[in-house]
Amino acid sequence: MARGGRYQNRIELLQGTLDMLILRTLQWGPRHGHGIGLAIRAGSEDALCVDHGSLYPALHRLREQGWIAAEWRLTENKQRARYYRLTPAGKKQLAAERSRWERLVAAIAGVMRPA
Amino acid sequence: MKWLRRRRRTAEEELDDEIRFHLAEEARLRGESGASPDQAAASARRDFGNVTLVTELTRAAWGGRALDDLAQDLRFAWRLLKRSPGFTAVAVATLALAIGATTALFTVVDDVLLRPLPFPESERLVMVWERSPLGNPTNSVNVQNYLDWRARNRSFRDIALVQPVPMNLVGPAGAEQVRGLLVTGEFFDVLGVPPLVGRVFRRGDDVDGAPRTVVLGYGVWQRFYGGSPDVVGRKVAVNANDCEIVGVMPPGFALPGQPAEVFAAYQIDPAQAPRSGRSASTVARLRPGVTVRAAQAEMSAIAAQTERERPENNTRWGANVVPLREQAIGEVRSGLLVLFAAVVCVLLIACANIASLLIMRASARSREMTVRLALGAGRWRLVQQLVVESVLLAALGGGLGLLLARTGVPAIIAMFPSNFPLPRAEEIRVDRAALGWTAAVSLGAGLFFGLLPGLQAGRRGLADALRSGARVVSAGRRLRTVLVVAEVTLAVVLVVAAGLLIRSLAHLHAVDPGFRAERVLTLRMFILPTKYSDPDRRVAVLQQMLERVRQLPGVTSAGAIHFLPLSGANSGTDFHRLDRPAPPPGQGEATAVSVIMPGYFRTMGIPLRAGRDLDERDGLRSQRVAVVNEAFVRRIFPGEEPLGKRIFVGWGYGGGPRVEPGFEIVGVVGNVRHDGLHTEPTPTVFLSHAQQPGYMASLVVRTAGDPLALASAVRAEMARVDPEQGVLTVGTMQGLLADSIARPRLQAVLVGAFAALALVMACVGLYGVLAYSVEQRRREMGVRVAIGASPRALLGMVVGEGVRLTATGLLLGLAGALVATRFLVSLLYGVGPTDPLVFLGVAAVLLIVAAAASYVPARQAMRVDPVVVLRDE
Repeated sequence: MARGGRYQNRIELLQGTLDMLILRTLQWGPRHGHGIGLAIRAGSEDALCVDHGSLYPALHRLREQGWIAAEWRLTENKQRARYYRLTPAGKKQLAAERSRWERLVAAIAGVMRPA
Repeated sequence: MKWLRRRRRTAEEELDDEIRFHLAEEARLRGESGASPDQAAASARRDFGNVTLVTELTRAAWGGRALDDLAQDLRFAWRLLKRSPGFTAVAVATLALAIGATTALFTVVDDVLLRPLPFPESERLVMVWERSPLGNPTNSVNVQNYLDWRARNRSFRDIALVQPVPMNLVGPAGAEQVRGLLVTGEFFDVLGVPPLVGRVFRRGDDVDGAPRTVVLGYGVWQRFYGGSPDVVGRKVAVNANDCEIVGVMPPGFALPGQPAEVFAAYQIDPAQAPRSGRSASTVARLRPGVTVRAAQAEMSAIAAQTERERPENNTRWGANVVPLREQAIGEVRSGLLVLFAAVVCVLLIACANIASLLIMRASARSREMTVRLALGAGRWRLVQQLVVESVLLAALGGGLGLLLARTGVPAIIAMFPSNFPLPRAEEIRVDRAALGWTAAVSLGAGLFFGLLPGLQAGRRGLADALRSGARVVSAGRRLRTVLVVAEVTLAVVLVVAAGLLIRSLAHLHAVDPGFRAERVLTLRMFILPTKYSDPDRRVAVLQQMLERVRQLPGVTSAGAIHFLPLSGANSGTDFHRLDRPAPPPGQGEATAVSVIMPGYFRTMGIPLRAGRDLDERDGLRSQRVAVVNEAFVRRIFPGEEPLGKRIFVGWGYGGGPRVEPGFEIVGVVGNVRHDGLHTEPTPTVFLSHAQQPGYMASLVVRTAGDPLALASAVRAEMARVDPEQGVLTVGTMQGLLADSIARPRLQAVLVGAFAALALVMACVGLYGVLAYSVEQRRREMGVRVAIGASPRALLGMVVGEGVRLTATGLLLGLAGALVATRFLVSLLYGVGPTDPLVFLGVAAVLLIVAAAASYVPARQAMRVDPVVVLRDE
């Protein structure tokens, strides 16, 4: 399929990591949805591409959880956009996710270490 | 609710805004990197993907969304159903019929077969019967044997003896006879049901010489005493004996299979208990921890002892322990299960039909579905909507079906014959269990036929669907073909079963009962033993009644017999030829015996083949005489002259000395199928009541007009002879004849109706598939006609397809029927379960019906105009 060819350099996001990435992106300050997508892409040097069909549902999910809050603001280009920011609960969640992630990475690295 | 909706609307608007912003931002970025604004916007959109789908997915993440969808789907489904009333009517009616029928029968099956009997720890209740040398496993019990069982067994907490007897009561409307039960003191303890008023019997009530006591059933208490609680202690004349009423039982109390309105203490003198003859039954409660098998082993051992101790009465007799529940429902079970299986088949066919209808609709709506998918509707969302549609259909059908069941249950019960051993028939009604069943069936049906086309619609790839456009969706067709073949298969099994049952019924109708049943009035009674203990008086009372009845205008003749043919009761006795050496005690041959009054044969239209009828010459003090039937002659006197031969007949001797000169055979009559039309006539000896007066008597009265119109006049003449002598039941021989085949008739009628329903549904299904196939293949047909196919060839093609589908179903169905009809064997008469006539007939009928169902769509195919079709493209 054409789609597969175009994104072959990109990595499918691991289940459950998108939420962590979003929270992490918001650590540097509020961003709108589009900006979050860009930041994840840029931060991963284009290796990770966020599917919009996942991004917006994820944002709403996180908002329901109370980990992020949203407000409408104007961008530098004077356009109305919905900005998301981390809540205190979100910060805690990010810390928890991060340590979980590090344990996972360490565990996987241990398994994958050359013999 | 309103603010919720407003909130949702703002939320949706905000989401739209957010995505609009996303696209704009993306386009702006791309514009900065050099693309033209149009290109930038387009590529932004392309990369974003399906906007609607993203919105849908995001919305799905909101809470409460599912409920909202459901309400929307329900409204949409309701509008759709209203828009195609024809489809809706057919589907709902099909379901209502099927669900109604299943619910009605489920109610009956649940009440009769599934629920425990209404006694505490009813699983420990058993009946103990004697096993006769001829192999009857549930023969009545001898009183002395019962006493031995009671004294020796260790398996039962208690064992009670029960003897059904008619009981004569004198009530407000004169003498009346009701069904009564003589029971020993253990009876109520065994069943464990407390009385409503007063007390039940205790040990001591059943000792010979104790004051006579009775316990009333609820019905008699209401009819005779208006339900007054102070009946306890009152005296009542039962069979002209003064008895004290000690208690009243609650409504519905009965020993299954032995309905009774009055219970009297069975007073036994152990020293004088009858050591021959068997007429009672027993009911017992197992001790905790004792199994039926263990009890059976012990009872067999005890029976072996009694056989050694009293060989003259017990040679080759055994004991048989039967759980009460099995006893109560044993005969009914197979018939009801067959009916239930039939009805489940109908339900399955109905579901298949509706699934097929829905698939057809789904195919017709494939464009709509494709468009909705392309617009971003979630796949499961579509499936959900289809399921909601079909569950709505099923709910409508189920609701109507429940109404049908409510009227159907009484109708089914009304079809049961009066002698149908249906336990607790009067309690049966559509209740919560049946409601649950209806709900489960409707919901199951809804999910079943909603999921099939739903998954079908969901599975097809979008690109695929768009590519195929409006052309044939072959997967749907294949599924519908499978469904139709399955329908035909089930229908064939049902029609074969119905065919077998109907042929059985036809055989039964064609059977000659041996008597002429029309215009014969019957009055059953029990001659009062207290007033007529003198044999001469017992003879006289019946003679006087018959003489008076014969004088009535409209009466052609009258007679009497102790047990009417087809009434379910018969007597047997041992006998031997007196011109041969007597066999050892207890090893003589057995024969049926009937005690009659002169005029019986004439009244019943039983032909006299040789010799003479019994008449006034044969009295208590003259030579004992007997008339035998042809079956008796064939078996005992093959090739010999029976007239003038003497036989010994055990009947009436009560085990006393067997004296010469026995009975002289004076006549031979034609055979009567006494035990049922499905049984062969048994060898029978007819004795005269005037020489062997007993206490059971049924008057038979042949009338010129409607027999029941004379009933009260006949009753009045009998009362003139003795006003205290009541009558148990008044009926007609035709009624008995009808009752005797009511069960096969019920089975044939119901299974036949279900089979017809199944056949019609299968045909509708077949028609639907073919009509749709013709519709889808119009283009192909047009091309065929254009290149020279004749309309006849098209006709052949469509009918051929129909017949091919049917033939597949037919073969599968016939194979299935070969297996399934084995379960019918016990219900069949005169046909085998693989009757070739029925199987071939069903095959022929099915092919003809299938051809007819194919003809209409085939005609449409013939009318295809190639010009029109090709221009359409």
